[in-house]
Order: sequence, then C-alpha cells, then structure tokens
Amino acid sequence: MLKLFERNTLNVADITDDTTAIDVRNLNLWFGNKHVLNDISMRIPKNKITALIGQSGCGKSTLVNCFNRLNDLYDGCKYEGEIVIGGKNINSKKVNVSRLRTQVGMVFQRPNPFPMSIYDNVCYGLRLQGVKTRRHLDDAVESALKDAALWDEVKDRLFESANALSGGQQQRLVIARALALKPEILLLDEPTSALDPLTTLFIEELMAVLKKRCTIVIVTHNMQQASRVSDYTAFFHQGRLIEYADSDSLFTMPDKKQTEDYITGRYG
Amino acid sequence: MNSLFSPAHRQSLVISLTAFFTSLLLIALVSVLVLISFRGGAYFWPEPIYDVTYKDAVGSEYGAINNTSDTNEADNGNKKPQTSIKDRKNRENKENRIFAQLYITDEAERIYQVHYADDQSPYGAQMQLAEADVINMELAHNSAEIKTIDGRFVLGQPQFLTTPDSRRQDLSHFADIQSRVTALSSQIEKIRSERLSPIHESLASLDGKGVNRNAPARKRLETQFERWQHDVIHFEQERDEYELRITFANAQEYSIRVSEIKSIDYVSQLSYFEKWQVVFNRVATFLTDSPKQANTSGGVFPALFGTVLMVFLMTIIVTPFGVLAAIYLSEYAPDTPFTTAIRISVSNMAGVPSIVYGVFGLGFFVYTLGGNIDAFFFADKLPAPTMGTPGVFWASLTMAILTLPVVIVATEEGLRRVPEGLKRGSYALGATKVETIVKTILPIASPGIMTGVILAIARAAGEVAPLMLVGAVKFAPTLPIDGEFPYLHLERQFMHLGVLIYDGAFHSSTDAKNSSMMFAACLLLLMVVFVLNVLAVILRTRLRKRYLQG
Ligand SMILES: Nc1ncnc2c1ncn2[C@@H]1O[C@H](COP(=O)(O)OP(=O)(O)OP(=O)(O)O)[C@@H](O)[C@H]1O
Ligand SMILES: [Mg+2]
Repeated sequence: MLKLFERNTLNVADITDDTTAIDVRNLNLWFGNKHVLNDISMRIPKNKITALIGQSGCGKSTLVNCFNRLNDLYDGCKYEGEIVIGGKNINSKKVNVSRLRTQVGMVFQRPNPFPMSIYDNVCYGLRLQGVKTRRHLDDAVESALKDAALWDEVKDRLFESANALSGGQQQRLVIARALALKPEILLLDEPTSALDPLTTLFIEELMAVLKKRCTIVIVTHNMQQASRVSDYTAFFHQGRLIEYADSDSLFTMPDKKQTEDYITGRYG
Repeated sequence: MNSLFSPAHRQSLVISLTAFFTSLLLIALVSVLVLISFRGGAYFWPEPIYDVTYKDAVGSEYGAINNTSDTNEADNGNKKPQTSIKDRKNRENKENRIFAQLYITDEAERIYQVHYADDQSPYGAQMQLAEADVINMELAHNSAEIKTIDGRFVLGQPQFLTTPDSRRQDLSHFADIQSRVTALSSQIEKIRSERLSPIHESLASLDGKGVNRNAPARKRLETQFERWQHDVIHFEQERDEYELRITFANAQEYSIRVSEIKSIDYVSQLSYFEKWQVVFNRVATFLTDSPKQANTSGGVFPALFGTVLMVFLMTIIVTPFGVLAAIYLSEYAPDTPFTTAIRISVSNMAGVPSIVYGVFGLGFFVYTLGGNIDAFFFADKLPAPTMGTPGVFWASLTMAILTLPVVIVATEEGLRRVPEGLKRGSYALGATKVETIVKTILPIASPGIMTGVILAIARAAGEVAPLMLVGAVKFAPTLPIDGEFPYLHLERQFMHLGVLIYDGAFHSSTDAKNSSMMFAACLLLLMVVFVLNVLAVILRTRLRKRYLQG
C-alpha cells in the first residue's frame, strides 16, 4: 500500500520538454466578460498524477476542459494562449477536435454512463472511430474493463443496462469507456466526490496503476486525496495559478501564505 | 368567522371543492364512454321481433315518420315484452298488425320507437307508437330479420322457397338453393368478364380504327356478343326465379330474390349464446364490408382503411419534419429574438383552428401545388385534374402540417430532458455534434418524440372539418389501394371514420336517440384511438425504462 503511493518526483522546474505531457502557455479564458483563467502557464509531466486544487469556482474544471477543448461547447467562451500536447498547439483552429478528445480522455464528477448496455458504453468511442468487427470490440471491452478493475464484477452481465450498476461501478465504467480509446492523457474532474471512502480508495489505487500508461490530471477538493495520490499539485485561486510544485513540497512546506491557508483549511 | 373556518376546515373545504370538480370531470368522461359503447354496441345486438297489433290512431300525433331502413338499436331498460291492453281496445279505429322491433320508450309518456315492416313498406320503416294504442303484442317466434346484399332489412316470417320449375321447397333447403344461386351468379360474372368485356374492347378498338359499320369482323363480334348477352339474360332470369316467400304479420305475402339475401336471422328464437354469434358476425361484416344505403347500413371498411392509411402517411411525413425542426430549434438555433419568435409561433400554431389548415391545404396543396404538378407532369390528361384535386396525399400532408407543432413541442420537451452530463460524456469521447445527436440525444429523447407522434395520430384520426376540404368524402367508389399499377393511388379521394360519423349524424332523419351506424362507427373510432394510445404508452414506457436513468 505504502509502496503503491511512493513517489519519485522531480522539481517542477526540472520538467523538460521530453517529459511534458501538457504544456500550458499564457492561457487566458473568458466566459462572456468574465475572466475565468488568468495567464496560466504550467507544464504537466508525463506519466504522473497532477492534482489541481483550489476553492470552488476558481477555474479548475474550466482549465481541465481546456485540455480537450470541451469549453468549445459553451457559446460565450473565448480563450487565448497555447496548450501544447504532443508537440501541437491544441488551441489552434486546425486541430481535429474529435481526434484530440480521443487522445485526452475525461471522467466527470457525476458518473454519466449512457443508457445502454455496459458493452455498448465501452464501445461507444471505438464505434465512433469506425471499429466494427466483433472480435476487436470484444477484446477492447475486456481489456478496458480489466484496466478499470471492473471486469470481474460485470463480465457476466455485459449486455445489461449500465444504469443498473452502483455509483462506484458506474464511475469505473466511465473510466473504462475512456481507457478503451487508449488515451495519452486522462482528465479526472472530481471523480470520487460522489463516492464512498472505500470506493474512493479503490479508484485511487486504480489511478496509481494507470499512471504507468497515461498522464493523469485530477481535480479534487480532498486534500488528503491530493497529497496521497498525486505527484504534483497545482493550487489555483480566482483564476490564477498560485503555486505549483511536487506534492511533497507543496503539502509540507508551501511557498505562499495563500496555499498554506488553503491546505490547512483556514479558508476555502 | 375564524372560529367557523379553522385552518383544518378550510383545508377540507378546498379538498371537497376540488374533489367535486374532479368527480364532475370523471362523470362526464364516463358518460361519454358509456353512451358511445352502449349505443355503438347496441347496433350489433339482435333485437327480438314482436307481432304487434295496434289501432291506427288517425290524426294521431304519432304517425309513421319516415321510411328509412334504420337498423338495430336497443335500450336495455325496455327489452321486456309489454303485454296487451285489450280493455282499451277501440272498435272505431282500424287495426294494424305489424312485425316490429321495439326500441326506446319514452318512460314518461310510454311511447315506443318501433322499426317495423309490413306489406306497405316491406323494407322497413319507423314510427312512434304509444303504448295506449297497442292492442296486442307478442313475441313472433317464427319471424326473421332478413338482410339483403344492399344493406336493407326485411322483418317477416319465411314460408317456403320457390324454384324456376315453380315448385315449392321447404325452408330447410335454403343453404342448398343459396349455393345454387351463388353458382349461377358466378357463372354470369364469368361470362361478363371473360366473354363480354373482351368483345366489347375489340369493338371499341375497331371503332377507334374507323372500321366500317358493316365490316364482317364487326358483324361476327356483334353476333357473338349477342349470343353471350342472351346467355347472361337467361341465367339472370333463372337466378331471379329462386325466391323466398315470406308473410307479414297481417298475412300478406311477399317475395324476395334469394340472390339478394345476405343472411336470415331468426332473432326472436335465438339463445343468448346464438345472439352473441350474430353479434360476432355483424361485427365482422361491419369491419369488412363497405357502407350501404347511404352510410346507414353495411360496414365501414373503406372508412377504417382510409383513416388508417391517412394517419399512416401523415405519421411518415410529420415525424421526420417535426423531429428535425425540433433538433434545429433546441440544438442548433442561436438564442436570438428571431428564434424565440419562431418558438412562440410554433407553440401557438397548435391552437390555430383546424379548418384554417383545411383551407390552406385546399388553396395551397391542392390548387397551387397540385395544379402545377398537373401542368408539368400530367399535361396530357388536362383539363381533368390528376393531382390538382383533393386526395389522400394532400389530406395527409395537410394533417401533417396541422400536427407538426404538436410533434415539435413534444420533441423539444424530450430533447430538453437529456442530461447535460451525457452530452458532454459523448463529446468527450470524440463524438461530433451529429454523432452525439444520433447516438445519444435522440434515443434518450425518443419517449418524448413518441408522445408527440401519438398526440398527432389521435388528433388526425379524429379530425373531420379540414379533411372534408382536402380529400375525405362521404362515399368513395374505390379504395386508394388496388391491384392496378402503381397500386397505391395517393391522388384518390378516400373515406374517413370521422366524416362517416359526421355524415351519419346529419343524415339520420330520425331523432339522434335512435340512431345507428353512426354510434357504431364512433365506437370504432374511439377504439382505434384507444388502441393507438395504449400501444404508444407501452412503447413509451419501454423506451423510457431503457433510456432514462432509473
Ligand atoms: N458555461 C459557463 N458559462 C459561464 N460561466 C461559467 C461557465 N462554466 C463556468 N463558469 C464560471 O467560471 C468560473 C470557474 O468555474 P469552474 O467550473 O471552472 O470552477 P471550479 O474550480 O471547477 O469549481 P468547483 O470546484 O465548484 O467545480 C466560475 O465562476 C463559473 O461561474
Ligand atoms: Mg468543477
């Protein structure tokens, strides 16, 4: 258990181009006239878990949604600056947003399985990509469900409705759904806030395993969770990145007073 | 005052008031259902025939009031035979004896509505009869309700059958003789279709070629034609000599051609079970036969068929249009004052009187669109219009426009219910907008879409006024479907249950109390709508179970 969460992290400043999964450069974002993200620059390292923390409404979700351009769904949203993933600026108009979203998977706060069978849920993304052969789909479903540690629980009822699963199972199904596309980056927006502590632990262990295969960005309000699972932590306040460091330093000796206040629970 | 109406009192007052109005509503609903099913059902029930002797009250206010051949109608409360009132017999008045079926009695004044037959009006007539005028009344065991092919009824006592060799045959040979007559009829039909019409066509083609009147080919054909024609006449004469002799209550005789008889029901001696058999047969006839006697008898098959076809076509047209429009409005259209105006006018369109749509359909679809189609594609047939005349296609299109708002509003409602999280989940997996709509939004919105379609169907099935402008008629000689290319004739006029009922309501010259096929058609329409609704509700619950988070 302890070993699972043992870290081997560099200083934030030492993250090189090679080890960067997401490079955010001077990102500004507005919803209408509201300046929601204010000049954010940060490098999110590959195959690590990076936690985003901060008060409600500070723009964590908005930032995460920038990584797969989900903010495009909102009419009043404008943004400036660059986000480089895999050597390309994804904020460019030329980017194929659908392809980007298959490379950057996302799990939401509330489990949102589609009202279809478990099998169809996991296949959703693959079918969109034109995968039709039954054998491919079967294999992909099995491996994705195994990766999400759900296979044993559902292998006998793959064709039953996903709505019949428990909340924790649903959340793992949603993770499996994203993993089926073999994403390079997995964005988790408060994935455990609707779950009980035991299931939460379960999903945290899952993250520790998954980080070997992809970069994970997790938004959380739970300080213990952030310090437990993440390698790096970024603290936001009112749309600004206040402090970004490896989790050990950030949680033991934060640089900024604001950060310290927040993590010790003096406000927020 | 306050002590009188304590909060608890006030609450119970509100409850009883609201409950009162709810129960009023329920009563209204139930009475509609009961009336329609009772009167509609009674149309099929075999009523016993009574042998009635009454004094002809000259100058009485209850004379025979009409001569239409109306059919069965019953009122459960008055089925028991009324016994004689001999003591009131008045020798000065003439006595009449009739076979009659008794219907509603005016409870207060003791007046019967009777449907009777005698030698004066063998095919039935109606009148009102005061109980005071009845001298004697008893169940006529051996009399029967004899139904003819053309939908009329005779009430009489069958005596014997006559054959061409003018011999009497016992009634027990009826089935035998009837099959002989049928054989003759089909022989005649065969000669007509296989011999006479080809010759007729050849003659017509000779005419077309301008062949001389006295050309030998023509002469030969004409003699052939005459020979076959002669055979037909011969067979017809033979067929018509098979007759059923009946007597009326006053012992007058009357003959009916066997070829005209459809069924003979000895309604006065039927057991309960046999009555149900008769009902069953009549229902079957009602559903499969075409209307007779100006929509007062026979069946409603063409109207049922027309209604279903029209509704079906309308559904095919309105569903994609409505769903696409709703998708545009709720998923694509920007939120501008203009789209808001569109939304408001769509929901208001549902309240536009239907006759307006009828006029629009007639003016735009039939005359403008249809007229132009004729001008471009069927110019050779002009001035006889092909599409430029009311027909089932224009009717379906008009009804589609009429029901479009319903479908749009219901679909929009369904689309709005799709959880935002699911849409985002779909986009996050790389789906485009179209893919998200097709694979996630539409399935989840399908119960809402179904609701809209059902409402549209129910509305279209019951609509009358606009349909009469754009293609529904009281009587259509042909169905819109037949074996002739292109099989589905969308330009033809059609019959519709609603129009039939409307026609029936105007038509029955008796008081509406004692009416007829109108109620049966009404019951059928009610059942069609009910079945459609039940089907839709089942479908909707299944979709809902499948697609909504439980
Ligand atoms: N679609 C939107 N339209 C307009 N404003 C928005 C929209 N989404 C978010 N905002 C605003 O942007 C700011 C940041 O919101 P965001 O959801 O990123 O906060 P958050 O840090 O994720 O908060 P929480 O911890 O409560 O989830 C908030 O002030 C919010 O009101
Ligand atoms: Mg959030």
